Amino acid sequence: MRISNKIVAYTTGLVLLLSGCKKQLDINHDPNNPPVDEATPQLIFPGAVMSSAATIGGEYAILGMLWSEFATEDAFSSQYRNLDSYSATGSDLNTNYGELYTGALSDYQLVLDKSVAAEDWNFYLMATVMKAYSYATLVDIYDQVPFTEALQGVANLQPHFDAGDVIYDSLINEIDVALGKDFSARTNSDPGTADFIFGGDMAKWMQFANTLKLKLYLRMVNKNDAKAQAGITALYNNGGNFLTEDAAISTFTSVPGKQNPFYAYNIFSLNTTNNLRASITFLNWLKENSDPRIVSYFGSPTAIGIHQGDFQNTTDPTYANAATFVQAPTDPVQFISGPESYFMQAEARERYFGGDQAKELYDLGVTAAFNFWGFDASGFIAPGGAYEYPTAGTFDDKLDAIITQKWASLPGSHALEGWLERNRTGFPKSSPVYSTDPSWVPGEFVIAKATVIGQNYPKRLVIPDEERSTNKNTPDQVPITTPVWWGK
Amino acid sequence: MRTLLILLSFTVALCVTAQAQTVTGRVTNPKGEPVSFATVRVKNTKTTVAADVDGAFKIRAATGQTLIISAANYATQEIIVQNPDNISVTLQVQEAGLNEVVVTALGQSKSKAKVGYSTASFNNEAITRASPISMLDGLQGKIAGADISTLSGTPGGSTKVVLRGYGVIGGGGNQPLYVIDGIPLSDALFNVAATGGNGPALSDYGNGMNDVNPADVENITVLKGTAAASLYGSQAKNGVILITTKRGKAGKMKVDFTSTFNLTEVGKLPTYQKEFGQGWGGTFILSENGSWGPKLDGKMRPWGATVDNSQLIKPFSAQNLRDFFDWGTESNNNISVSGGNDRTNYYFSYGNVFSDGILPSDVDRLQRHTLSLRTNTTYENFSISTSLNYINRNLNTPAKFSLSPFGNDIYTQLWQLPVDIPVKDFKAYNNKFFNVDNYFTPYAENPFYTLYENGSNQKSDRIYGKIDMTYKFTNELSAQFRFGGDFTNARTKIWNAVNAPSPGSWNAGNNVEGAARRPDIGSYQEQTDYNSILNGDFIVKYVKDLGKDFSLDVLGGVNYYQTQASNVTAAIQGLTVPKFYNLSNSDNPPTSSNGYAQKRLIGLYGQAIIGFKDQLYLTVNARNDWSSTLPIDHNAFFYPGANLSWIASNTFNLTNTGISLLKFRAAYGKTGADAAPYLVYPTLTQVAINQSNIYSGMRYGTVTFPFNGVNAFTINNNIGNQNLKPIITKEIEVGTEMRFLQNRVGIDAAYYDKQTEGQIFTVPIAPSTGYTGLVENIGVVSNRGVEVTFDAMPVRTNTVTWKLTYTFSKNWNKVLSLTQGLDKVIEATDGLSGGIEFDAIPGKPIGQYLSPYPVFAPDGKIVVDPNTAFPVQAADKVDIGTSQRDFSMGLVNVITIKDFQVGFSLDYRKGGVMYSGTADLTLFTGNALATAYNDRKPFVIPNSVNMTTGTDGKPVYTENKTVVTEANFSNYFYTNNNKALAYPMRLIDKSFVKLRDVTITYNLPKAWASKLRAANLSLTAYGRNFILWVPKSNPYVDPEVSNLGNDLTSEFGEYGAGVGPTTRTYGLTLRASF
Repeated sequence: MRISNKIVAYTTGLVLLLSGCKKQLDINHDPNNPPVDEATPQLIFPGAVMSSAATIGGEYAILGMLWSEFATEDAFSSQYRNLDSYSATGSDLNTNYGELYTGALSDYQLVLDKSVAAEDWNFYLMATVMKAYSYATLVDIYDQVPFTEALQGVANLQPHFDAGDVIYDSLINEIDVALGKDFSARTNSDPGTADFIFGGDMAKWMQFANTLKLKLYLRMVNKNDAKAQAGITALYNNGGNFLTEDAAISTFTSVPGKQNPFYAYNIFSLNTTNNLRASITFLNWLKENSDPRIVSYFGSPTAIGIHQGDFQNTTDPTYANAATFVQAPTDPVQFISGPESYFMQAEARERYFGGDQAKELYDLGVTAAFNFWGFDASGFIAPGGAYEYPTAGTFDDKLDAIITQKWASLPGSHALEGWLERNRTGFPKSSPVYSTDPSWVPGEFVIAKATVIGQNYPKRLVIPDEERSTNKNTPDQVPITTPVWWGK
Repeated sequence: MRTLLILLSFTVALCVTAQAQTVTGRVTNPKGEPVSFATVRVKNTKTTVAADVDGAFKIRAATGQTLIISAANYATQEIIVQNPDNISVTLQVQEAGLNEVVVTALGQSKSKAKVGYSTASFNNEAITRASPISMLDGLQGKIAGADISTLSGTPGGSTKVVLRGYGVIGGGGNQPLYVIDGIPLSDALFNVAATGGNGPALSDYGNGMNDVNPADVENITVLKGTAAASLYGSQAKNGVILITTKRGKAGKMKVDFTSTFNLTEVGKLPTYQKEFGQGWGGTFILSENGSWGPKLDGKMRPWGATVDNSQLIKPFSAQNLRDFFDWGTESNNNISVSGGNDRTNYYFSYGNVFSDGILPSDVDRLQRHTLSLRTNTTYENFSISTSLNYINRNLNTPAKFSLSPFGNDIYTQLWQLPVDIPVKDFKAYNNKFFNVDNYFTPYAENPFYTLYENGSNQKSDRIYGKIDMTYKFTNELSAQFRFGGDFTNARTKIWNAVNAPSPGSWNAGNNVEGAARRPDIGSYQEQTDYNSILNGDFIVKYVKDLGKDFSLDVLGGVNYYQTQASNVTAAIQGLTVPKFYNLSNSDNPPTSSNGYAQKRLIGLYGQAIIGFKDQLYLTVNARNDWSSTLPIDHNAFFYPGANLSWIASNTFNLTNTGISLLKFRAAYGKTGADAAPYLVYPTLTQVAINQSNIYSGMRYGTVTFPFNGVNAFTINNNIGNQNLKPIITKEIEVGTEMRFLQNRVGIDAAYYDKQTEGQIFTVPIAPSTGYTGLVENIGVVSNRGVEVTFDAMPVRTNTVTWKLTYTFSKNWNKVLSLTQGLDKVIEATDGLSGGIEFDAIPGKPIGQYLSPYPVFAPDGKIVVDPNTAFPVQAADKVDIGTSQRDFSMGLVNVITIKDFQVGFSLDYRKGGVMYSGTADLTLFTGNALATAYNDRKPFVIPNSVNMTTGTDGKPVYTENKTVVTEANFSNYFYTNNNKALAYPMRLIDKSFVKLRDVTITYNLPKAWASKLRAANLSLTAYGRNFILWVPKSNPYVDPEVSNLGNDLTSEFGEYGAGVGPTTRTYGLTLRASF
């Protein structure tokens, strides 16, 4: 059996060869993507900020455009009919909700972890502010979202939802912790170009942090005015130090993939470019006040509009000529705009400081809003001007003026804020009649003609299916007519 | 190392010589006709010759030695040499039966008697009868238990093959393993994702298996079950398709020539309503892309844009969509040269295909050249065979999806033509009325523009081959070393022209609706793909008769398998110089990406067959694999199998029963399969933000990095799994083969029960975890089924034979479980938010459609919302059907009358539903037949109620009186508004019966042939797929089509605007042998 012996020998040899093959089989590290250990704040932060910008300034802005009544769906196109008729369901805006958690929040958390390890407090503050901004936006839209148990991957596949006010308190606390860090430490790195918002200017990030706190406190005035007052008073006692310019990404270009996300979605990608037509609600307000921004927003001082949600009316001969909302690929995405900062300060002064400096701040806000488009507001805010501050009016008159002017500054990627602020303050006012009625006052909100929720306004979105179908701890669905925790 | 072993083995050589003389003879059939090129061998020696064309042979053999005479389709015969001169051998025609040899796992030939599982074999004639250019297209509907579908009417498109049902839930992996001459063949799809994205593949460039030239194939054997395939290991969990190519035979040089030419025409198109013309909401609107206008009255009306103060006029009457399509042409030529002597045989072939599809222009065109060279050499105890194949392919194929905003796909444009618009006029797409500025609607693009200006091309070079060496140490012991590879390089280009309506033009908004068309910014993309498989086996075989009752057949081996794939893509978006396609031609910097994937697998295997008295055979086998794609410390998996074959007709004397063969089989098999590469470790990925549904391919509002000169990475949204386990498939199979009446009637039946466990799938998880997917081993899928093949020869006379084969298969598919906590897995969606899902749900067949659905009152009446006039949508989507078929059956008939042969085959597949994108778009545009409902008069949804909440909090139902108005009529059919009813309208019954092929062959008389010095000459006229029956509920598409790949997701149906129609083919083939 010599031959058999040989076979045994060969086979043994092969088995030995195989056992040496472990190295041969260790080829499963992805050559196309770096290992997660390579993450640094500089590498992760820019993408996370862009994720916040692309969602809040993207599809959420489209929702904002419609529900702030800046624009309404074209009668001959159909892209946003479901939103314009308030029939947003759990299947809408899933992608953006998911992107905020997986593209923004999880990455902010990674930046926080890495910057704590490196004692890099610059990135720590930046990530804290952006995390708070993004989480607060989710709360403002969905009321409750996972927070304390979120972002843990396999460690918790079914995160519980937290109440909106609890999340708000935590976010404010986290900002305070971040602001208390040592910004002169040698371990801090210069964010430089990795900071698309301020180019690494930490003084401005501190302003952003303060202004965001101001915004969060103002949001809770209906629910817990005392806490808001205490928080805002503390802010002023610390010197205020709010934003005087936009906290924004302003470096979008016309290059595909580098465009303003709202433009990229609404103009660049769709079949027709005129889904968003001028809403008469906003358009006639601009006309009534001879506001020059009508050209910036709708192209012409004589632009024609469509009544809100009247897209099923294909017989109105003027509708085909209704103005399309003007957009450019280079439009910025503002997180908090300069005018918005002034308007918030004006409101705070009016609420808690007896109106001291409120008019000045209001005027600064209107001026900055006009300046953004290259217009001069001085005639408008001067005595007798269309937007003169109602110094002698009631608190509500003043709040109306502040919020309405804020609203008028928001069309574009910042449009969501218009809807949220109306949910909080009720301004601009609601009209008892539809805008076709002769008694309708321009600028007053009307319920969309095609409403599927009756004579109501939408006040929130329902939790997206993407979360509901995978997370058993998703709370029961709440109608979109129910205000969020801070809502009016 | 292994080569060294072989070289060492040369040291042992055996040589046999004998006292010999020249023996002559002639081989004939029972009719006395010569059997050309029969093989004559002296038993127990290597001496082999081939008979000549007249059946005459000369061989050196000693008196008393035995000659073995064999020929294809004849029973092998042995004759003892007594008189060396003029030995006359009459070979009997062999019907299918026991003596048949089948190719089994690892390319081992085995007597069918020893095989304890179901196999199906097809020879070249069956494969090429209707001259397909893809080797499996000729077998559609002919294999029980195999679902073979052509996925589009475009030349070079993909073919889908599924054996015994879908077992794998996630990530594809339901395709069988293709093995050609013992070496795995890549079936990779070189599909290219749309520019800069990760959406579905843009075009269908066909799957790898389709590259093999059918004319080169000697035989295809299908091993459907796990038991049959398990020796192949990981790749074979879905069965194996074994391809044996043609080889040279000893004898004089033989030349075979085949030439075929056919015409193709468009097959099933959606059936349109013919009553209503252009417009929307019942109103005639010049710029609309739908047929929601007034009744067609045949009167002359102006149409389209006003250009230079003039407008075209035409009658307001229905036009024919078929006018858009052309006749396609296809030619396919093959020549092969083969021959050899008793030591060395050779086979060389060249084939080409020139095919131009039914779309005008050459946007759909395939050119393919195939070259093959194969040799077999035997020297003493050593034999070596080689095979080298080269394929050159040049394919133009249209986009399957809209490429917004770069360009467009054809069918999206076509289905948006109102029924009264004359499509053929648009061919002059530069004409001032039909150009970019003034095409009649801003909502779509001139389809001829799309045809002539946009397109894609893929050129590929592929080489596959092997070297296979065997050394016989003794008559019992031999060793085989086989090494092969398959290497493909493909270069793909995709171009889309830049265009924008001129300011002030009709399509820039100067139309009656003030609608402006978004400009196409144009794009150009190049991608290079490389794909390789390396495979080596070293096998030791031992065959021994153990006494008079027992036989033993053992083999053991080691396998090395490696795949590599890489690609590099670069693209520009937005062209500077129109119609100039180069990566430099953009104001924007090119974007680029590359990918690389590698996996390696090492296997050890063994098999033993014990035979008892030529009637009972037991096979046991086992294999252990080590795979690189599993966690490194748990990368080994072991799986055994066994099968039993009992030839009852050898056990009992059945001579007088009319039973010629009675065989029973039983088998159990298990296979393990590894994962795709790189699912284990966590990674970062470069940031690319899309605000869109990942299934839709539409990327709305994309932001990519680097941005502002800064690159950025994000945590990969899928969590890898460091405890990943292999997928295990287990199958039990029992079956029987019975033949009656001298083999004239036969039945082969099988029952199988297969379970696929531990599926590797990226399970969607809540985004609030920070991730969207978790790679897991989930779920068990069961496939049980019955396969029956019945064949008969009802007529067998000297001049007429009629053979028929009937196949029936039914598969019961069920998802038995998913991971705990997971109640469904979404396989695909229609791309619309909140639309139709295609799911795997425990307790149901894999591939279940969940659709928005109405709420019903307790008495079954439909609940309508009086605000909208449409039904209220139920909170949850409703399961409204499965993609799985009830059963399939096929019937093949071949009738030979003297020199004529007539064949036809039918393919019937019953049941299952599919999603139709063609339905979606034609329902939207009011072209679909269904939209003429109620003569488009306002109506109240029948049997509908309104629901309010009563004072007691309980629902109160009152009769619904809200009318679906004329203005709202179109919304009734559209998913934006009437979600609950419109979504289900897009799911259609996919049953069909197809007349797969009809062939008429005339074998020209030998006398004619010999004038051309040809041995055989025949002419075949054929037609393919020219009759299709579908249920009335499917007025849209050929239900075989899909544009979602060739695996489970393709069962979803046709996505987007659909794939367009399939084709009917009519052709002629000339075959000649010299």
